[in-house]
Parts: sequence; C-alpha cells; structure tokens
Amino acid sequence: MKNIAKIDSEMELDEASGREQEQYLTFRLGEETFAMGILSVKEILEYRGVTTVPMMPECVRGVINLRGRVVPVIDLSLRFGRDTTLPGRRTCIVIAEIDGEGGAQDVGVIVDAVNQVIEIPRGDIEPAPSFGAKLRGDFLAGMGKLDGQFVAILNIGNVLSVDEISALAGAGGLATRLPAGEVAASPGT
Amino acid sequence: MNLDPALQTFFAESADLLDRMEEALLRLEEEAGNAELVNDVFRAAHTIKGTAGIFGFDEIVHFTHQLESLLDRIRDGEVAVTAERVALLLACGDHVRAIIEPVANGAGLSPELRTVGEALYARLGVELGRGEARETVTPAAVPVAGAMPAASVAGEAVAMAEHWHLSLRFGPEVLRNGMDPLAFLRYLTTLGDILHVEVVADALPEPARMDPEACYFGYEVAFRSTAAKAEIENVFEFVRDDLQLRMVPPGSKISEYVKLIQELPGEPMQIGEMLVRCGALTAQELAQGLARQADVDAEQQAAPEQHVRPIGEILVKQGAVESTVVSAALEKQQTVRDTKAQEGRFIRVEAEKIDQLINLVGELVIAGAGTQLLAMQAHDAAITESAANLLRLVESVRNTALGLRMVPIGATFQRFQRVVRDVSRELGKDIELVINGADTELDKSVVEKIGDPLMHLVRNAMDHGIEKPEVRVANGKPARAQVMLDAYHDSGSIVIEVSDDGAGLNRERILARAMERGLVAEAHALSEKEIYNLIFAAGFSTAEAVSNLSGRGVGMDVVRRNIEALRGTVELKSEPGNGTLVRIRLPLTLAIIDGFLIGVGAARYVIPVDMVVECVELTAENARSARSRGYTDLRGTALPCVWLRDVLDIGGARARRENIVVVQFGEGKAGLVVDDLLGESQTVIKPLGHLFGHLEGISGSTILGSGEVALIVDVVALIKRIMARTELEQMRYAPPPALSQPTLN
Amino acid sequence: MEISKRRDSDGIHLTVTGELSIYSVHDLKQELLGALQEAPEVEVHLGGVTELDTAGLQVLYLAKREAVAHGGTLRLVEHSDATREVLDLLHLSPYFGDPVLIPGVAEEAAR
Repeated sequence: MKNIAKIDSEMELDEASGREQEQYLTFRLGEETFAMGILSVKEILEYRGVTTVPMMPECVRGVINLRGRVVPVIDLSLRFGRDTTLPGRRTCIVIAEIDGEGGAQDVGVIVDAVNQVIEIPRGDIEPAPSFGAKLRGDFLAGMGKLDGQFVAILNIGNVLSVDEISALAGAGGLATRLPAGEVAASPGT
Repeated sequence: MNLDPALQTFFAESADLLDRMEEALLRLEEEAGNAELVNDVFRAAHTIKGTAGIFGFDEIVHFTHQLESLLDRIRDGEVAVTAERVALLLACGDHVRAIIEPVANGAGLSPELRTVGEALYARLGVELGRGEARETVTPAAVPVAGAMPAASVAGEAVAMAEHWHLSLRFGPEVLRNGMDPLAFLRYLTTLGDILHVEVVADALPEPARMDPEACYFGYEVAFRSTAAKAEIENVFEFVRDDLQLRMVPPGSKISEYVKLIQELPGEPMQIGEMLVRCGALTAQELAQGLARQADVDAEQQAAPEQHVRPIGEILVKQGAVESTVVSAALEKQQTVRDTKAQEGRFIRVEAEKIDQLINLVGELVIAGAGTQLLAMQAHDAAITESAANLLRLVESVRNTALGLRMVPIGATFQRFQRVVRDVSRELGKDIELVINGADTELDKSVVEKIGDPLMHLVRNAMDHGIEKPEVRVANGKPARAQVMLDAYHDSGSIVIEVSDDGAGLNRERILARAMERGLVAEAHALSEKEIYNLIFAAGFSTAEAVSNLSGRGVGMDVVRRNIEALRGTVELKSEPGNGTLVRIRLPLTLAIIDGFLIGVGAARYVIPVDMVVECVELTAENARSARSRGYTDLRGTALPCVWLRDVLDIGGARARRENIVVVQFGEGKAGLVVDDLLGESQTVIKPLGHLFGHLEGISGSTILGSGEVALIVDVVALIKRIMARTELEQMRYAPPPALSQPTLN
Repeated sequence: MEISKRRDSDGIHLTVTGELSIYSVHDLKQELLGALQEAPEVEVHLGGVTELDTAGLQVLYLAKREAVAHGGTLRLVEHSDATREVLDLLHLSPYFGDPVLIPGVAEEAAR
C-alpha cells in the first residue's frame, strides 16, 4: 500500500508562527473542488479495499487497516447526499483527525483526487453564504478565493462528526436500512 | 512543591490500608480478642494519619487522630471490642475513604461529608470518654520514658537520657522527589516534643560543587514522646526509601549510642558532641562509651554480623525492655518490614504501558500469522518451519504479556465481606461469607467488570436464597448460613461460583412465572436446568415478590447481559432445600479470542469459537425449505436459521454451497448460514471506535494475516436484534415463527 | 521568588520575596554567592519570604559558611514567619547568629 504523502511536523510548525489554518489541502469530489485545513490531515493513502461494516449509514463505507489500527472510512460524496464514489485511478483516502466525545479519532475520507496544498490568507476567505449553497451550512467553514475562483472550505469537524454519524447508526438511519432477512415467516416468503 | 506522583501513591496506599482495615475489623467481629487484628486496624489508621500529616491534609489528620485515639484505647484493652464499636469503626473507615480525595484535591468537603464527619467524630469522642475514667488508673502501656527500666542491665551502663534519639540521613534525591525533610520534622512534633535538633551539614560541599536541588542536610534529633517505636518510625514511612533512620530509645545503653556514632558517616567525635548537645549522652557518658570502644570493636570482630544488627533485634536480645507493648511495637515494626519486603518484589506499572505492550504483541501475532501464510504459500519447508518456530515464540511472548495483566480475584471477593455483614444484619439473618480460590488470577479488565454482577448475585443469594435463622433451625440446618465465593481455572477460562446453602429455587413458581410472562409456552419439555435458567431471561424478574426468588427484581437478565458482554456464560443449579449455585465462566482475557473465520461472498467474518457448537452443511434440498420456514431440521429438532448474507446486508449472489454454523444462544441454539468455513485462528480484538458505538451485532474487528480487516460477530446481540425485529413484524402480520421463542433442546 | 539588590555603605542588601524553595534555589545560590564576592558584608532581608524549604535553607547555610570562611559577614534580617518557623524547628538561629525579632503582641494583633 503506497503512502502518497505523510504530513510531517514541518507543516505543523506553522501553528506556532500563527499561520495556522492558512494552509489547505484541496481535493476533488466529482467536478467540484473543496479544501480542508491542513492541520486535521494526518496522511493521504492510495485507495484500497475497504471492509464493509453492516448496519451503518450509507456514507460509512467501512474500515481499513492502517498499520494495525482499524480506521473508519467515510464516503464524502455520500455524506453530502450525492452519489457513491467509485474508485478510480486517482481515488484517495485522506486520513483526518477528528475530535469527538470519545476523544480524537482518525477517520478516513474517500475523495476522487487530491490536488495540492495551498495557502489562502485569511483576508481571502469569505464567510459561507447562509443560503443557496448546495451543502449543509455547518459543513462549510468559509469560501476561499483561489485563482479567482471560489473554493468551499470544509468544516471537517462537522462533516465527519463522529458523534453525529454514530448516532445515525443507532437511530433512524438503521431502522430504514434493516436487512431484508428471511428469518421470519413474513407474508412475502 | 509538586507532589503529584507522591499524592498518587498516597491515594493508592490509603485505599489499600483502608481495605486492610476493613478486613481486619470484619474479622475482629468474630475474634474480638485478637490483638493482632486490633493492631492491623490501628496501623492502618495511623499510617494514613501520618501520610496525611506530611501532606498537610489537616482534615484527615484531625479525624484519623480521633479514630486512632479510640483504637489505641482498644489496643490497650481499656475499651472492649463490641459489635457497635466495630460498626462505628467501619463507618469511620468509610468516612476516611470518602474524604481523602476531596481533601487532597483541595476541593474541600461537601456539607454532607462534613456532617457525617462531625457526627462520627462526636461518637468517637463519646467512646473515648468511656475509657477515660479508667485511664487514670491504668498506666499507659506505651513505653513512657519514665517507665523504662533505668537501672543498668547486665552490668552495662545505661544512659540517663529519657528521650528518643533519632538520627536522620536523607538521600540526595529526596528534594527532587518532592519531599521536604522539614515536613517530616514538623509532623514529628505531633507525636511529641523535639527537644533539640542538630543540623548535620558535613555533607554540604564547597559552593562550586553544591547542587542546590540535592539534599545534604542530616539531622540528629532529641525527641521526647510517649509514642511507640513503630509510631515514630511511621512518621517517616513516606520517605523510607530516601532515608536512613536510626533510632535509639530512651534509656538505652551507652554502647547503643556508641554504636550509632560508629555507624554514622563523619567524624565520631563530632557526632558524639552532637549527641551530647542533644542531651542523649552526658559528656561523661560519651567519654566512658568511647573508652569502651576497643572492647566493642573486639566483640564485633568476634561476631561481625552483629555490626549491622537492627536495633529491634538488639533490644530483644538484651531483654532490656520487658514491656509487652514494646514487643508489640517490635512485632509491628516487623510487619511493616514484611510489607515493605513484599512491595519490593513488585513493580508498579501504569496499566496503559501494559496495554501498549499487549497491543504490540497482538500486532506480532498478526504479523506472525501473515508470515506463516506466506511461508505456506511458498511451499518452502525451511521457511515454513522457521515461521512456525517464530509463531511458537510469539505465542509464548503473548502468554507472558497477557500474564502481566492478571490479578488475583481475592481483593474483589474480599469486598463482599462487608456487604455480607451489612446486608445480613439488615435482613436479620446470620450469614457468613466463605471465600475460596482468592489467588485465582484473571485479566484486570475482567476483574473490574465482574464486581457488579457478583454483587447482584451475592445480594440475591442473601435476600432470597437464605432463610431466616429460625426457619433454618426448624429445617434441621445450622442457624448460620453460608454464602460461598469460589474461583478456579478450568480449561482456558476462569470459573467463578456464587453459592448458598439456602432454600434453593422453587421450580413450580418459576415455571408459573415464566408462563405468565409469556417466556415459555408450555411447561412440558423443559428440563430442571432449563427451568432454573429461565430466571436469567429478560423480563422474568419484576418488582413483585415471587416466594423466595425474585422480590427485589434485581434483574438476573442484567447479570447475564453483563457477563455475556465479557464473553462469559452463566448457569444456575439449584437443589430444593440445599441451596443454589450460580456458575460464571469467563475468558481469561478480553484482548484475544479464538475466532472461527467464515466467508460470505468476499466478506470475512469472525465468530468466537466458544459460541460455535458445530458446523453442518446446508444441502441444496434442505436450503429451499429452510429459507421459507426460517428453520431447518437438525437431527430431529428445529434449528432456527439466520442468513448472514441478508442480515449483514452483504449482497451478491447466493452461493451454491452453504454451511450452517450452529451457535449456542443462551440455552438454545441457532444456525448462522454462511458460504465458506475458513477455520479457527487466534484473533486479536481491535475495537472499532466511537463511530461504531451504536452498532449492535458486531463486537469488534480483527486484522487477518492478509492485512484485511474482518469483523467479529456478536452472535448474541445479532440474534437478539433479529428477534426484536421479528417480533415487530409479528405484531404486524403473522403468527409467531420459530425464533421468537427460546428454543430449548 | 524575586531578589532585589541594593548597595550602600554597609555593603549589599538582598531583599528576597516569595517562595524560597527548590524551584528557585539555583538563582538564590548564584545571587548570594555573587553578592559575597562583591562585598564582604551582605544583609539578606527575609521579610517577604512566604516559604522556606530544605533546599532554600541549605543555600542560606552554605552562604553563611562561605561568608565566615572568607572573613565576611552574612546577616539574615527581618525574618518572616515562614523563615522563623524553620529556624526554630531546626534550632538553627544560633548558627546564623542573627537576632530574630519576635513580633510583639501589638504587631501580632495588627496583622
């Protein structure tokens, strides 16, 4: 399994110099480009087989083995209510560290392609539009300007909210997705 | 000063001491005359007071001092041991346990704790008052200086000093370890008066070489106190590793002082002068003593081992002090030493470090399995053999590592002494707790989680199992009932038994109850065992009393669930009139299981081997009817079946060949229909993390030799889910299918 | 701990305030020994010392010993309660040889 990039401590050093969250990782999801703060990104892996975990919301694609640890993988496109991401040549899993009730947890995110690490000065970031965006408002941290184009900067903590997704598994999300087992003598069989 | 690590030790040690105190108190109820037990209790209270004093936790010192005073009276035989007093002392122990943390954290005491504390303090005061009248008559039995034989013993000169002489030499690291010798001296003043201190500064080097954070000062202390030797010694308990403490009791022979002078580093004459200044010796006595030095030297050459004889031993040998209390003090000191020696054989390690090690070893097992797989694929005999060797070693490393987490269950059992005592009183029953197999070891994480279920079972036995004394006597049983806790190892698991010699379970009532609750349809085909185990069924117990059984409705199903969460099983045996036995079987560890790997399509799942009864093929001709009915015929009985492909939403086309993994489900069995049976292997459990916290039916994951992740099926939870869902469907549509009832075969 | 230094015709005055403990003894040692090298007479004002532990005491002891050995003087003055308590506990006042002022009743009451 090839490790495309490992985010080393050099980048984290920026935090100390007050430039935190000015650097962003941009990536592609379908035709759209998004950005996420570099500090939550731990590493980027080439896409690999994911073990499906049953009875979970659809956006949870499953788990992978990350050097002996089992890490959940989320399909960002499904999380945004779009189509399933089909693995392609450039499909990646971005490992992000997310804070939740149970402490920090690593979560993998499937994206169509990783572009680059860029710098967007604070002044070039506008607040997310309160309506009209195609994404849930709390998923956006702001809109950054990049080469004259707007790029949506994700609030990755909200997007990958462990608490929210796990609650989905426990509550309604599950009931509607109960497997159609044939254990019981239901009228259909 | 940063005392944090020291504070942690204080917490841990206090908890230990309080446990020991409680244990001794409980035994004391039976053996009121056992002086050693009183001493144990006293020692515990005293040590806690001592350490609390060093930390300056005045509230704890204040309370334990009062407690200690009463204990002292009891120890001296001025106050008798009665059940009420033991109860009071137990309550005091509880109170100390409750206040240690809030006081130490600086949070202060809540008004409730304060009220409890004041009430207990007052009651202690009352008890103390009772002893007071006699105290004036009975001379205090602690070695008061004046009471010591002042005459010369065995023709040897005895110094006139009527106080203790303490020689303190601290280790250089003591300050950096967060201790301040001054604090100990301050605390010493609570036991008596410091008459004189000589600061020994010989060790203080020239400025350039002086490390300001190292401790150089030693002290020669003249100390007047009526405290026993061990009490004084206990003042320094906390710094014991960093302190050389020499004590010369009041009225010791001059030769003792001379010996002290010789033992201490530094110029003899200078130290001798210090002793004179401390009033330990007069100048004349010193001269006399040093004159005898030649003789002493000669003696020592004759018997060199005497050179390092501890003072206590010398005291005994000399027979210089006949007071019984001094011998008690010596005994006490010996116990302190023994404990110390025992502590020395152990290393306190952070639990997290061990977990880390076990995780790594888990990785090693996985990597080893991977290597073996590759070796086998390579068809190279040499590599295969080498891999097998490696795996054998890894396995023994794993066993050793897991052994590090093992702790004896005794401490957990011991806690029930108190419960049994309190509850039996509450119930007006006479019950004793009998403990066996306290040394049996099991995984620490299991120990932590087994306490609650055990508590349930013990309480249940006392509440409902055991009859009132008069009933017992009428039935020809001894009035005193027994509740037994037993633990032993049995084929890779640990077995814990909770039993009683009470009335046993009432079979008819249980059955009636179960039918009433709709847990069983008909009473017919149920075996004795099956009937008894019905009490573990969810919804069996209620708040309503059912003869001698449920009453409280404490929910035996909860017990069962807790035990199943530990991957354990529970069963119950009962004999009317002779009692009940609950047997819990638990895995030795939670970190690794023997897994049975199965495949459905490309997906791989692990089923814990201990759940698997057998595997049978689901033949093509049976498959059809099985699918439509939801069960298949297993040697004449109906086996409800679950298709994992459907239940786990695996998808894909049905395999041509299917197999049934027959699993134990409570008292019944169920079949999991899978495609492939891939065999048994050791499985290191990897938690799935918070994201999957609400997931039922999957208990964790593991990494296969290939690096792939496989999920571990939580058979019980999975089937329960399906049952719950089936019930939902039943309500909507159909008559009950097979699985909604426990299948009992 | 803070140390301020003043020089007058009598010599050097060091005023120590705060905790004289293991955390500050390195500075204390440097300041005291430094002062002794600069002038033969050093007066240490202890009125603001809130805590004195063994480490602090050892440095004071060392400085005194140095001063005596080189024919200088080191005086401890204006003992605070915290310092007085330690000197009393260890019967060390004679070693330093400084008059220790015990606060009068009026002064005590004024606190």
